[in-house]
Amino acid sequence: MDSLFVQQVLNGLITGSVYSLIAIGLTMIFGVMKISNFAQGDYSMVGAYTAVFVMAWVGGWLGWIGSVVAAAAVVGLLGVVTERLVFRPLMTRWTDIDMIMVSIGLYILLDNLAQLFFGATPRMIGDPFGGTTVHLGLASTSLLRLFCFFFAGITIVCLELFLNRSRMGVAIRATSQNRFAAQLMGININQVYRLTFGIGALLAGVGGVLYGTLFAIYPTMGALPTLKAFAVTILGGMGNIRGAIWGGLILGVAEALGGNYIAMEYKQAIGFFIIIVVLLVKPSGLFGRKEGA
Amino acid sequence: MSVRLRKLLLWAVSLAVLIAVPFVVEDRYYMHILVMAGIFTILTLSWNLLAGYTGQLNLGHAAFYGIGAYTSAILAMQTGLSPWLGLFAGGLMAAAFGFLLGFPALRLSGPYLAITTIGFAEILRLVAMNWVDLTRGSLGLSGVPMLTPIHIGSWRMQFYFERDYYFVVLAGVLFTLFCIRRLIGSEFGVTLQAMRDDEAGAQSVGINPSSYKLAVFTISAFFAGFAGGLFAHFARLVSPELLALHNTFDILTMAMIGGLGTIAGPILGAVSLTFLSEALRSLEDVLKLDIRLIIYGLLLILTILFMREGLVGVIKSAWDRMKGGR
Repeated sequence: MDSLFVQQVLNGLITGSVYSLIAIGLTMIFGVMKISNFAQGDYSMVGAYTAVFVMAWVGGWLGWIGSVVAAAAVVGLLGVVTERLVFRPLMTRWTDIDMIMVSIGLYILLDNLAQLFFGATPRMIGDPFGGTTVHLGLASTSLLRLFCFFFAGITIVCLELFLNRSRMGVAIRATSQNRFAAQLMGININQVYRLTFGIGALLAGVGGVLYGTLFAIYPTMGALPTLKAFAVTILGGMGNIRGAIWGGLILGVAEALGGNYIAMEYKQAIGFFIIIVVLLVKPSGLFGRKEGA
Repeated sequence: MSVRLRKLLLWAVSLAVLIAVPFVVEDRYYMHILVMAGIFTILTLSWNLLAGYTGQLNLGHAAFYGIGAYTSAILAMQTGLSPWLGLFAGGLMAAAFGFLLGFPALRLSGPYLAITTIGFAEILRLVAMNWVDLTRGSLGLSGVPMLTPIHIGSWRMQFYFERDYYFVVLAGVLFTLFCIRRLIGSEFGVTLQAMRDDEAGAQSVGINPSSYKLAVFTISAFFAGFAGGLFAHFARLVSPELLALHNTFDILTMAMIGGLGTIAGPILGAVSLTFLSEALRSLEDVLKLDIRLIIYGLLLILTILFMREGLVGVIKSAWDRMKGGR
């Protein structure tokens, strides 16, 4: 194996871990509430801008960690508020089309509010480690990117612990399996919805800080993470958290390798090629249970 | 007066008004807006044919618009084909792509279909950006020929001004409207609505949903391509921007605000939003704030939450209330 290949795989895994994080939020919301949220990437955008402001205020690696916490809080709250105002009223009479369209409305709204408030100039999150490079055998990467990868991993582990060990986590999983049975067992379904949506948004917000650390931050940046998250989610099977983790890593690596060995111009299309093939061959996703499309 | 006569009269009066408009409104700026409103009416009607009548959410409609525009423009520029034929060639090319996209789309619904169609449009947009020999990439094709003059005996019509295009687009809208109305009113249309409301039930009486969906996908794409051709020869510039996602979002916002699954809704939505958008543009110049799309997003959300039937539903219930009060 040549070092370029290893380097691209490493780059892909790092980007892919961020895709996983954003996609897990999307897949959770879909699994529990059957909402396809096209505004998911905009939660990431809000998270990224929260980081810009915190970093300008605190700075250094303390500021970076502080901005992740702040983004989680701000975007989690935003998720809870939008769930209550926009999605909850539709929960009783929803159709696929209504839910998708209302989230597209939210996407248009958030995108353009951001342009109004933050201006069109792209922003960057500074490197708190001063550009330190880490060498890992055949490949190398910056300490910051490695940090992003581990941070995404830690967040995912925390989520798994919460879903499997806590009472509320179990209620969320029960609702995702069968919402009527869950209700009969005395689970407060509205509380589960609020929490699920809040956590789903929060994950996108934290993912947004990482995404903004790896790439640039601008008001309309949300569209890409949304589309990537959908690609990942379909790849892994909609509603399937483990599937989203693997799906994100696969998409990240596929993009890095495809961009390098096939065609750079079509890098952004690779995810779509993959999902069209997956949908034709195995519509329930690579890791899907027997349902789906 | 019989209902039929009254309807005929209504049509005649509306047509007369529409034909008279350019003679009253002489301002070229307003004529430009009207032409764009007409093009968006065709796009919205064709999108609604699929979403409103079969319940399939196509988020890649802008791709068909772009395919039609590029086809007509490239044919006219490189082979010298008459733009008049190009309009239909663009429609047919888009229909061919619609037919191809229809196959995977048959097996998909909801979010799966939505994301596949977005992917289809994004891939084609990247092709338009990168196939520089044919499309000149992100610069786009400029100097697309105008529609060629028509001679009928000694009478000659040229297409230099917005007003001339207004009549062409008006004819295009009427052509689209006629075809779609006939389609919806026919047995074919009734079958579609039966399928949308209860697919299993429709299957059980011997309807094959696949061939119907495929047909609608193709027809819907044809009209979007036709609208693309109209735009290409009017704006005389075709760029990959035409295939971008936000164009599809504009179309679906118009259809939704007008009233999904009706004939009048898309027309009402396309015309009112095109004008609203221009009004907001002038307001933006005064306020120095970009509020146009913020209002689009808000209107879309509010429509779905509070007036699911759209403007058509609001007008209808107001009309019923007026009648009831009498």
